[in-house]
Amino acid sequence: MAETVATGLAAGAAGRLRLSPAEHRRLARRARLRRELTGWIFLGPMFLCFVVFLLLPVIGTVWWSMRSGSILGGTQFVGLDNFLQLPGVVGAGAAIRNTLVFALLSVPLILVGALAIALVLAGIERGGSIYRFLVYFPVLVPGVVAALIWLFLTNVDFGLFNEVRRAFGALPVTWLGADHALTVLAVLDVWRNVGYWAMFFVAAIIGLPTELYQAAELDGASAFARFRHLTLPLLRRIIFFAVIVATIWGLQVFDTALVLTNGGPGTATTTVIYRVWLYVFASNNKVGFASAISLVLIVAILALTLVQMRLLRGRRGVD
Amino acid sequence: MNTTATQRAPAIELLEVGKSYGKTAVLSGINLAIAPGEFIALLGPSGCGKSTLLKLIAGLEELSDGEIYVGGRLANYLKPSDRDVAMVFQNYALYPHMTVRENLGFPLKMSGVAREEVRAKVESAAALLQLGEQLERYPDELSGGQRQRVALGRAIVRQPLAFLMDEPLSNLDALLRVEMRTELVRLHKRVGRTTIYVTHDQVEAMTMANRIVLLHKGLIQQVGTPAEVYAAPANMFVATFVGSPPMNLIAGRIESSGGQRLFRGPFDLALDGLAPAALGDGPATLGIRPEQVALVGAGEPQALPASVELVERVGPDSFVLAHLADGAALNIRVDAATPIREGDHVFVRLPPARLRLFDAAGMAVARERA
Amino acid sequence: MAQAVEAPAALDGADLRRIAADHARIRRWRRRRNELARHCVLALVTFILVAPFYYVVLASLKNGTEIFSYPPKLLPIPPYFGNYEKLLWDTGFLRWMFNTLFVAGAVTTLKIFLDSMAGYALAKIDFTGKRAVFLLMLILLMVPIGALIVPLWSLVSGLGLTNTYLALILPPLANPLGAILMRQFILGLPRDLENAARLDGLGEFAIYWRIVLPLIKPGLVVLAVIIFTDQFMSFIWPLIATTSDDLQLLTVGVAALRAHGGANYGLWSASAVMSLVPVGIFFFVLQRQFLARSLAGALKQ
Repeated sequence: MAETVATGLAAGAAGRLRLSPAEHRRLARRARLRRELTGWIFLGPMFLCFVVFLLLPVIGTVWWSMRSGSILGGTQFVGLDNFLQLPGVVGAGAAIRNTLVFALLSVPLILVGALAIALVLAGIERGGSIYRFLVYFPVLVPGVVAALIWLFLTNVDFGLFNEVRRAFGALPVTWLGADHALTVLAVLDVWRNVGYWAMFFVAAIIGLPTELYQAAELDGASAFARFRHLTLPLLRRIIFFAVIVATIWGLQVFDTALVLTNGGPGTATTTVIYRVWLYVFASNNKVGFASAISLVLIVAILALTLVQMRLLRGRRGVD
Repeated sequence: MNTTATQRAPAIELLEVGKSYGKTAVLSGINLAIAPGEFIALLGPSGCGKSTLLKLIAGLEELSDGEIYVGGRLANYLKPSDRDVAMVFQNYALYPHMTVRENLGFPLKMSGVAREEVRAKVESAAALLQLGEQLERYPDELSGGQRQRVALGRAIVRQPLAFLMDEPLSNLDALLRVEMRTELVRLHKRVGRTTIYVTHDQVEAMTMANRIVLLHKGLIQQVGTPAEVYAAPANMFVATFVGSPPMNLIAGRIESSGGQRLFRGPFDLALDGLAPAALGDGPATLGIRPEQVALVGAGEPQALPASVELVERVGPDSFVLAHLADGAALNIRVDAATPIREGDHVFVRLPPARLRLFDAAGMAVARERA
Repeated sequence: MAQAVEAPAALDGADLRRIAADHARIRRWRRRRNELARHCVLALVTFILVAPFYYVVLASLKNGTEIFSYPPKLLPIPPYFGNYEKLLWDTGFLRWMFNTLFVAGAVTTLKIFLDSMAGYALAKIDFTGKRAVFLLMLILLMVPIGALIVPLWSLVSGLGLTNTYLALILPPLANPLGAILMRQFILGLPRDLENAARLDGLGEFAIYWRIVLPLIKPGLVVLAVIIFTDQFMSFIWPLIATTSDDLQLLTVGVAALRAHGGANYGLWSASAVMSLVPVGIFFFVLQRQFLARSLAGALKQ
């Protein structure tokens, strides 16, 4: 083989290592250990909290869901009984049903409203920031306070809603009665959260490439056509993401239900987490059911999370 | 074939250096010794591994194979800051929240140098690079060229064993780049420190380096001075990468017929002297540089007919793209004054002394000593 | 045979200028009309969203009988401060507010450091298990504290931490959102900067402290705002974890007001308004940056 490489190394030195493989292994291992240690020192504190207060409790829920008894007193192992009996346990089915209805009512309303607001807001030239501030404000209200505010709005005698109805000559409505309580709860959630998603969509819309819109306008597309054929497809992944996250949040409803209606009337607005709380702290022997139904909720959330992760990993929408 | 003899201990040695990510080998079998004070260019197309090699020397990446010696010490397991090398990055990597003075002094401060000494060194580096006015400014207030000089200054203050430069000029506009090139050469002459310079621009490598290391697909293709690499490329990759426009390559076959070795292609050429007897028959390539092709009259010996397709006038020279009988393309450099036009039929001569032969694998075939 | 398209009659300069001016005027008018329509819609929407606040402020300034009067007074004149007096002096409201601000502040401060360190490790250091840890965090990201109250409560009481500030501060530290966000931000930093720092002799912690942290300040602000508002609004865990009055948080205390104490609408409305004061101030001050940055963090693209 023609030797045409002039490496500059002494004759014969090329290609011959001076340390044995064993020595290399030893030194390499030391360096690697140092790096691993550093990594774990940085990650450690947060990960410790994560494991102790999130991971372990998730596993703990599984464990508790297979036991029966009370949280302070003893419990005993009952295997999967809790799950089998769950449909019959008082309040469990209603809680799941209420939560699902609630989510089905509030999530579409929130997102459609937010998208509409975002579309209008994104196109505003001046004065937009005042609207952003005001629209976002209800988001910062703690659920408890929001429910308190809505107690005022929905009060049969002096509540704003009925005052308005009276002004128009209509009869007052018992907003928090069995017929309407869940709906009112859902509308409350819409009022609280539409601002959050509106800002989210505004940022997304602003990020869209304007050249596409200019081209469409030149092609003669109306505003509605541009929305339908450009905005919607371009935002598809973002909207999907929003649906998943808003649903996950919707399933967790509790504080508003507690303060607005105390879960009632009856169990009309008792949601899953509410029911868990009742099982654990308002009765003496239902800790197993509480955990079982918690596990159902966790599994639902994990399933939604996995769907969303799969989606985000998929084909890049429209490039 | 000659080996550049190094009389003193090499500043940097690479023995069987290799780097892989998972199963993909990015570098393999790199053997190299760099003499103190040398300016070595690592030249190659993007993706050839040159930046990775630089990072391996600096310690910013971990070796998969081999050993690296810096200043005689094994550097494989040393932290970057313990290796006594300084690096100039392509996008400068200046600390945005520190002034120029603080940027320049930072490495010294980190090694615990006394404040007065830091000051002195910073001032002298700033003077060397004409940064005196900028010392209190922040990086985002500086122009590209100034930032680049700060990056250089930061390396200089450390007075390291070697400078490692990763395409430092490629973010500058063309004019500035040429200016800075001269600056860097001047700096090297003044400061005289070992420098390893990564670039994909062969003009930079050719004008700046004492020796050039050509890399392609993670392997060293050739190591040599600019002259060597230009006149005696080790393989077709080097032949076409170095020199602009690239060397002309004419494909053909080596055949033995009647006791004679011939190159058969767009023309027949007797090979005597051009190839050793050991080389068997088979596909081969002839190479000749554009400036070595001569335009001749019709009757001259070894004249070959060609038709002119394109004439590029680039100032003092023109480059003529012509085609030989069977369509093989030839790039010829001629004086701008030569009257030649597209569509002309001309005759060219390829002086045998200037021809290089490459075998089927693309490796250069050494001439037989007569 | 007529031509398919007739050449337009020649126009002179003045005609062309006039036509151009006409077009420009029409476009301007259209844009203004558009803008006006948008403002109308937005004004209506914001009115609907914000009116309840005014209504509650109003109610808080009325005494017991005025609240029920019909037709309702639309202006609080003369304003009645009795509700606020009762709220601030007779209930534990101020204590609740302090507790909430303290806990939220503690959690925010701790998490800023813990999460940025964790994000740095995930982004920049290679160690075994990194991918597994990150994946685990992504998967459990959305699991809420509310679904974990049974084991969490058992854990906290087992550790003897019920009715302590620690019980309120520790569990929220587990939320991986911060670490994931910080990782994102740190990954966005130019790679060579960290390389340069390494060559300059900085150890890992020094790189984190002197180079990375200053450069991700906007991200830290986003994180701080998210964590603080989240903690301010948290309810179910504080409800369960603390039973003593001293440690009540704002949300729990206000809910307790609703649960006990009859139908004292005046008090309730005053508590609602007072709860919003810190948020209102905070948000108003950070208004512009808050919205822009909060969204930068929220979008995963």
